[in-house]
Amino acid sequence: MMCEADDDALGDTGQDDDPAFSALLEDSVEDLYEHAPCGYLSTLMDGTIAKINATLLDWLGYRGEDLVGRRRFADLLSVGGRIYHETHIAPTLSMHGEIGGLALELRASDGTRLPVMVTSVVKTGPDGTAQLIRTTIFDARDRRAYEQELLRARQESDRERERVQKLATTLQRSLLPPVLPVVPGMEVAAYYHPASTDAVGGDFYDLFPLAGGTWGFFLGDVSGKGAPAAAVTSLARYTLRAAAVSHRDPVAVLHVLNTVLNHEYHGIDPRFCTVLYGVLTPDADGCSLAMAGGGHPPAALLGADGSARFLELPGGQLVGALPDAHFAAVEVRLEPGDTVLLYSDGLTEARTRGRVRHSEEELLDFLDTVGPTTAPAVVAAVAALLAGFGEGVDDDTALLALSIPVSAEP
Amino acid sequence: MTDLFTATATPTPTGVLVRFAGQLDADTAPRARQVVADLALSRGALLVLDLGALEFCDSSGISVLLAARNAATAADAGIALVAVPARLSRTFALIGLDGVFATYATVADAVAAWS
Repeated sequence: MMCEADDDALGDTGQDDDPAFSALLEDSVEDLYEHAPCGYLSTLMDGTIAKINATLLDWLGYRGEDLVGRRRFADLLSVGGRIYHETHIAPTLSMHGEIGGLALELRASDGTRLPVMVTSVVKTGPDGTAQLIRTTIFDARDRRAYEQELLRARQESDRERERVQKLATTLQRSLLPPVLPVVPGMEVAAYYHPASTDAVGGDFYDLFPLAGGTWGFFLGDVSGKGAPAAAVTSLARYTLRAAAVSHRDPVAVLHVLNTVLNHEYHGIDPRFCTVLYGVLTPDADGCSLAMAGGGHPPAALLGADGSARFLELPGGQLVGALPDAHFAAVEVRLEPGDTVLLYSDGLTEARTRGRVRHSEEELLDFLDTVGPTTAPAVVAAVAALLAGFGEGVDDDTALLALSIPVSAEP
Repeated sequence: MTDLFTATATPTPTGVLVRFAGQLDADTAPRARQVVADLALSRGALLVLDLGALEFCDSSGISVLLAARNAATAADAGIALVAVPARLSRTFALIGLDGVFATYATVADAVAAWS
């Protein structure tokens, strides 16, 4: 692709029967070489500049006699470029006879830097020995500016993304209690695994004191994702907190939530949640637990004897979608050594390539191997199980566990 | 991603047949919801949702089914689900939606039961 600078002027092209066309043709290869819209440079195999065109001299602010026979190509490069020339360009040329697509910086006589794109080929003689290196140089100032603009845009986008993640994390924290309260005579633990750092998840839980030494708690999962789901989560959380104050019956609390959500979200964009709501009433040697469920996976009871079973709530319907929803209730007594685990279906819905990894049955089998346990221990064990799913977990997962310490036994 | 889910509505002698196929999740639910919103249901008609080709349906998808139910109820029309995948049936049982929708094996069964 190089201009043959040594050639004589172009001969008869066969086009000269059209004078207008001929007049437009380049009639001097020398002029084409010297004033081409790119720089041309020929060097000896040791890099000494043998020939350089006027375009490149003009860019660099040198005269031909400053460079020809006196300087090497590498002398025109920046320090970094010179190192790159020694370690990469020269060896590649001697091995392969050509190299292209090099982004380098040339140093002009006034010290300014000129970003360029460089291509070099080795010219060989009739016997195959290398004679010259021919180099084409394109002005890359526009391109460099464009790349810098791209880089700036990319950095700006990265900063924007960080801001979004920070906002999502902050909002998420506002939907969960920062720290679980200390419940006398009980151990409590919670865990939250967001499926994405970009979007606010739909899982929520809380544990809070009620009148007469009792405690309320809930764990739920709102339909959908992102900001609309977060709005439902917020409404659900505060509605449950308020309803818990005025209703002792857990089923009545869920009915209040159902009515509030159903009034707010109906028609073509219904929103709902599944939730377990419970009240703990501690006594001398344990605790009674009254719990109501609306379409949520059942809590697991890990007994002091090491057994594990679900606290089934058959017939409980999701909350908010149906005006006349039905909710189920269960009452159970917790003895020292007993642990209750509530979880969202991010755990049982964990998928790997579309396959369900953990059904409720498999979870129960796993919990059978964990008990007897404590709230912090079972949360740690299930969190480790989740971590093992790796990328398979594409939904949020929340865990809330309550246990009666064995040491609390009189 | 758009071809992972399709929603089509076709008229039937008794009302409308809507087919959801592929992955119905938070990303595709808005399109499914729009198909439901655009339905012209007349009083006494039957909206049949054919879920036979549904490969995945999460909570966003279930909210679309509930939106269809709301649309049918508002129009004084009926709604029936057809060919509900086993996994979705199981989810329905878990969240108490079994019994909320009339379900049939085939579109013909649903239409016959309505006539």
